[in-house]
Amino acid sequence: MIEESLKNYALKNDSKHKIKKIKAGLVGCGSMGQEIAILIAKAGIELTFIEVSEAKILNATKKIESSIDKIIDRWGMTAGDKRAIMSRIKGSTDFAALADCSIVVESINTKKWVPNQPTRKEVFKKIEANVSNDCVIASNASTVVIGDLSVVLNRPQRAIGVHFISPTLKTHIIEMNRCRNTSEETVKFTKKFAATIGKEVIEILGSPGNISTRIIVPMINEACELLMEGVAEVADIDKTMRRGYGMQIGPFALADRIGLDKLIKWMEGLYNEYGDIKYKTSPLIKRMVRAGMLGKKAGEGFYRYDEKGRRFTKPGSVHTLGN
Amino acid sequence: MIMKILILNCGSSSIKYQLFDMHNNEVLLAKGIVEKIGLLGSFIKNSRSDGDEVKLVGDIFDHQQGIEYVLGVLTSKKHGSIESLDELAAVGHRVVHGGEAFNGSVYISDEVIKTMEECVDLAPLHNPPNLKGIYAIKELLPDIPQAGVFDTAFHQTMEPSTYMYAIPYSLYKKYGIRKYGFHGTSHRYVSQRAAEILGKDINKLRIISCHLGNGASIAAIQNGKSVDTSMGLTPVEGLMMGTRSGDFDVGALTYIMHKEEIGVEATNTLINKHSGVLGVSGISSDMREVEKAAGEGNERALLALEMYNKRIIKYIGAYIAEMKGLDVLIFTGGIGENADNLRCEVMNNFGFIGMIPDPEKNIGLRGKEAVITTGESSAVAMVIPTNEELVIARDTYAIVKDMVK
Repeated sequence: MIEESLKNYALKNDSKHKIKKIKAGLVGCGSMGQEIAILIAKAGIELTFIEVSEAKILNATKKIESSIDKIIDRWGMTAGDKRAIMSRIKGSTDFAALADCSIVVESINTKKWVPNQPTRKEVFKKIEANVSNDCVIASNASTVVIGDLSVVLNRPQRAIGVHFISPTLKTHIIEMNRCRNTSEETVKFTKKFAATIGKEVIEILGSPGNISTRIIVPMINEACELLMEGVAEVADIDKTMRRGYGMQIGPFALADRIGLDKLIKWMEGLYNEYGDIKYKTSPLIKRMVRAGMLGKKAGEGFYRYDEKGRRFTKPGSVHTLGN
Repeated sequence: MIMKILILNCGSSSIKYQLFDMHNNEVLLAKGIVEKIGLLGSFIKNSRSDGDEVKLVGDIFDHQQGIEYVLGVLTSKKHGSIESLDELAAVGHRVVHGGEAFNGSVYISDEVIKTMEECVDLAPLHNPPNLKGIYAIKELLPDIPQAGVFDTAFHQTMEPSTYMYAIPYSLYKKYGIRKYGFHGTSHRYVSQRAAEILGKDINKLRIISCHLGNGASIAAIQNGKSVDTSMGLTPVEGLMMGTRSGDFDVGALTYIMHKEEIGVEATNTLINKHSGVLGVSGISSDMREVEKAAGEGNERALLALEMYNKRIIKYIGAYIAEMKGLDVLIFTGGIGENADNLRCEVMNNFGFIGMIPDPEKNIGLRGKEAVITTGESSAVAMVIPTNEELVIARDTYAIVKDMVK
């Protein structure tokens, strides 16, 4: 069959298109970035992610594939869905690859609180240097104030916080954090983007920790207190919150899923911001992180995990956690 | 008077279209498909009645732009079929779900659009793109009348005792949960065509029509009216299909959700995309591939085929009982029109009502209208290729013919 360009067949009144085609960019494709990538590409949106090396790109791509395989095994997608999603995701080490994006989400890994903000700021600057004027620049940071990041931009009105909650393919909301600089257009576009990827938006006015992190952090700390006081065991504390309050997951299993190293970062961030003791990292968590018990990803945290990710209760008492 | 009618079938990322000349023997002037709307690699394939074919490649951001290009191609010098858009008399749309609001095809007024918007909840995947097509034409060709033809409308003649589910009545009141049925346009067309071919009055016939394609449904049609059909609120109910489970113990479904620890979305994918012929055979959802594997001795492929046939046979049996007999059995849809073995096996079960298959007529028959039982059969079986687009064009014509210049 002969092929021609579609352009020659436009009607006279062609295209006063109100709808802009969405293309998304992602900077940082660690575990959270990978989830976000699948979520976005699943909605039919093309996505380019930026990583620091070819090896990291390869690794992220492999992990995305294996995450989708796991979803297929659990009936959530088909092989056809996987092909479509993978065809939309591209990795690059060059920020210039973000040039035609309509939204770029920063989702970098930051291990410690102190060098945290400068790094995210650098990323914001780099993104802005490579995208068009109307591209929205969003941060997935949970305890950083978006206002602080926005000031590094030449066009700070495009800055917005979009906090995805893991496992983001299953959760239904994103916390949208606007600051004094964020424009209405940016908010409007972000809402449209959220709707396209099937998420409801919870609007938040510039608060580090949003809603979710501020409630989750003291709850996990309190669970650690209960454990250290010897009031009850890990599994029973979790079960109480699940069976008693209808939570899908108990505080310890949740801590394991988040990753204790990441949790410390959140806790330090919030403690730093608010100075309230309720956010101060539990010594138990510190001890466990030092011992490498980082949670599910490490195979061990408050629970033990086998290679298939199944969770088992650990024998022993609180004294063996991290000792 | 010019009576050229454009038929649109808008899906989530595709638009199928056909252009008919209703005053010239309902001839098909052009047809084509817009693919990958809003996605990478979008294109339009257009074929004209004289054999001219072209693939047009370029960005198509939304349905409206897709339709603009379709109109552009149809009026182009090189690949077009009409000289100007003035030749278009009307646009007819296929609409998947009409709920209880529509029991026939309608002229699309603002009020009708509003009612259709209210039906979106019933078919969240299908109705919104159908509506997008309607909005687009309204904007691009504001003076051209539009008609809507609903997949569910033909089955609106079912009795409450047929369409109600045995669940709390309040759920019907609250959400409209009941059997609606689909493929109505196809069942209507083939049943009318069967009466025509046989030279009989459709108002005196008991017909069972099997639409067997990617999706599959059966309808019991008594005196020209649908009295029962296998699909329900959604197209999952009824027959086993390529990737859909069809009828299934709902108790087992909640049990699976519990055991596999899966939520609503994964459960939906499980019964819609991982089940049916594909799920049982583990080979493919494509009947030809599964038949091939069965021929080579693959047991699960064989099992899938046997299950597929048995489900059809059960439904036919039930509908014969409902109508107290059967005059005509029709096979249509991609599988119904082509799978002669399947037709033979199904027919073989109905010797008790005087259905005698004629292998000479059946074996090797693909995609052509024919009677496939012997002359002495008291119940006739037929193959009738479906033509939903033509029905939509005819309905549109009937609705608008007094309205246009």
